[in-house]
Amino acid sequence: MATAPASFLPSGSRRPGFKLGPLPQALVPPLALFAVWQLACLTGLFPEQVLVPPSTVARTLARLAASGELERDVGVSLRRLLVGFGAGALTGLAFGAATALSRWTEAALWPLFLLLWQVPVIAFLPVLVLFFGIDETFKITIVALATFFPVALATFDGIKSVPRAWFEVAQVYRTRLPDLLWRILVPATVPAILTGLRVAITRAWVVLVAGELLAADSGIGQLMETGRQLFQIDVVLAGVITSGVIGFLLDRCARALEARATRWKDA
Amino acid sequence: MSFEPVPQRPPHLSQTGPQTGIAGAESARSARGALTISSLDKSFTISGTARKVLDGINLTVRPGEFVSIVGASGCGKSTLLRLIVGLDDEYTGEIRLDGERVATTSLDRGIVFQDHRLFPWMTLEQNVELALLNTDVPKSRRAQIVADHIALVNLTGFEKAYPHQLSGGMAQRAAIARALVTEPKLLLLDEPLGALDALTRVHVQNELQRIWMQQRSTMVMVTHDVEEALYLGDRVIVMTPHPGRIRRIVDVDLPHPRDRRSPVLHRLKDEILAELTAAPTDTTDDARGNLVLLPTREDR
Ligand SMILES: Nc1ncnc2c1ncn2[C@@H]1O[C@H](COP(=O)(O)OP(=O)(O)O)[C@@H](O)[C@H]1O
Ligand SMILES: [Mg+2]
Repeated sequence: MATAPASFLPSGSRRPGFKLGPLPQALVPPLALFAVWQLACLTGLFPEQVLVPPSTVARTLARLAASGELERDVGVSLRRLLVGFGAGALTGLAFGAATALSRWTEAALWPLFLLLWQVPVIAFLPVLVLFFGIDETFKITIVALATFFPVALATFDGIKSVPRAWFEVAQVYRTRLPDLLWRILVPATVPAILTGLRVAITRAWVVLVAGELLAADSGIGQLMETGRQLFQIDVVLAGVITSGVIGFLLDRCARALEARATRWKDA
Repeated sequence: MSFEPVPQRPPHLSQTGPQTGIAGAESARSARGALTISSLDKSFTISGTARKVLDGINLTVRPGEFVSIVGASGCGKSTLLRLIVGLDDEYTGEIRLDGERVATTSLDRGIVFQDHRLFPWMTLEQNVELALLNTDVPKSRRAQIVADHIALVNLTGFEKAYPHQLSGGMAQRAAIARALVTEPKLLLLDEPLGALDALTRVHVQNELQRIWMQQRSTMVMVTHDVEEALYLGDRVIVMTPHPGRIRRIVDVDLPHPRDRRSPVLHRLKDEILAELTAAPTDTTDDARGNLVLLPTREDR
């Protein structure tokens, strides 16, 4: 029965959705969309201020990129995302773990959490503007909030769903607490937490762009808002495409990390 | 405790620890894994009502003996093993291993569950080594001991495999290796082969017999397969449910390794099956007990 196996390491590329590079067929719909869009503009049925052809948007994107404007705004937004995400993820992890590991904190804090969880983060924006103005604090706070909730929930659920059977194994082998934590509890919850972090980062990005649209002096959202005020629809659309691509890449990277960290799961 | 798993020799022969000293192999052997259970009762309270699951269990297992337990599902076999291993300590009566009362888990008592319970994020090697974390086995020797036990269950070559890359039979053998790596005086097996297909079962039964003959530690195995119980056991304990009682103890007076075709085994199998399918001896306290049928732990 004991025949030597060829290879144990599951090759990561076996998992669908693992690759960063898009598949050839995935490129067809966007290209078709651009083609239809371009043709619609050529018919002249829509006024040019409203429907800008993709070729113009592409030129605008190139101009914004060349002038360094795009880089600056994207850079500012990503920095906010990073700081806010870091803060939200750490507090979310701590909160989720603290509530899951003690009955008392669970009873005290979890109902309130579940209530607040039902409120869309965007709904907090007006209040937060009142509190923090439109400074950096405001933007970082909304990102942190958008991150906190999914991460706390995922951490809580992750810890709660560790099978009792695994604790019993640790009990049988009299595993000490540090080993129990690092070798059993943490690996058992990491997949759930990583999923939470992935959901969180894409949400946080959406909320950040929305917040910047509403109130900001810099960032990708503000770039779009300025474009709107100046009737530069090409700039607005360039912002739309950029934020979409960034969100897509964030999700892809997070998925790749997730798949890497949970390679031991069924391939 | 000394850890010297040399698969070719029974471990007590290589033991030089302080408990055994120079007393010699025979007395070392008699001090290893004598299990005595006396007037053991166990009840579970379900929504306010106590229900007796084990009733007046008396059993003595000799050191190095292989005892099989058979009985209908729900008759308290798993509960009994959980009490012996120390995962549950709410009982009346006594459970003693080499004279010492069982209160909690101990590395002297190992268990193999029906579901292998290997950690999916650890390789086979890491899973087995986990059992050694809280022992005084020097770190430098652990790798060798782990390798020896992986060899003992014939899984050499699969050290770096993750559990999902092992077949059911291999995973169960890995669980056996993990349970044996601490050299427990007593190994409990709770339907360890229950989830395996018929062919793999026979194969792992043979392996288990070989391992037990090499190690000669005391083993108590729960199974629902009467043939398996007879093939492996020096004695077969027949249990009946509601409440769980020992109905009969069958001596299987055949040397190991055994021949599956032995007429003695077949005769005993028929006897035990008749016993298990016979009408319950006392029906007095049964009516109420039968109403509550909870799924067993494995099902939940
Ligand atoms: N934790 C528990 N709480 C309440 N009842 C239990 C629990 N564990 C087992 N039981 C009950 O005890 C009885 C014996 O269960 P078990 O020992 O698992 O039986 P077996 O292993 O022989 O199939 C069953 O009726 C089961 O429902
Ligand atoms: Mg059972």
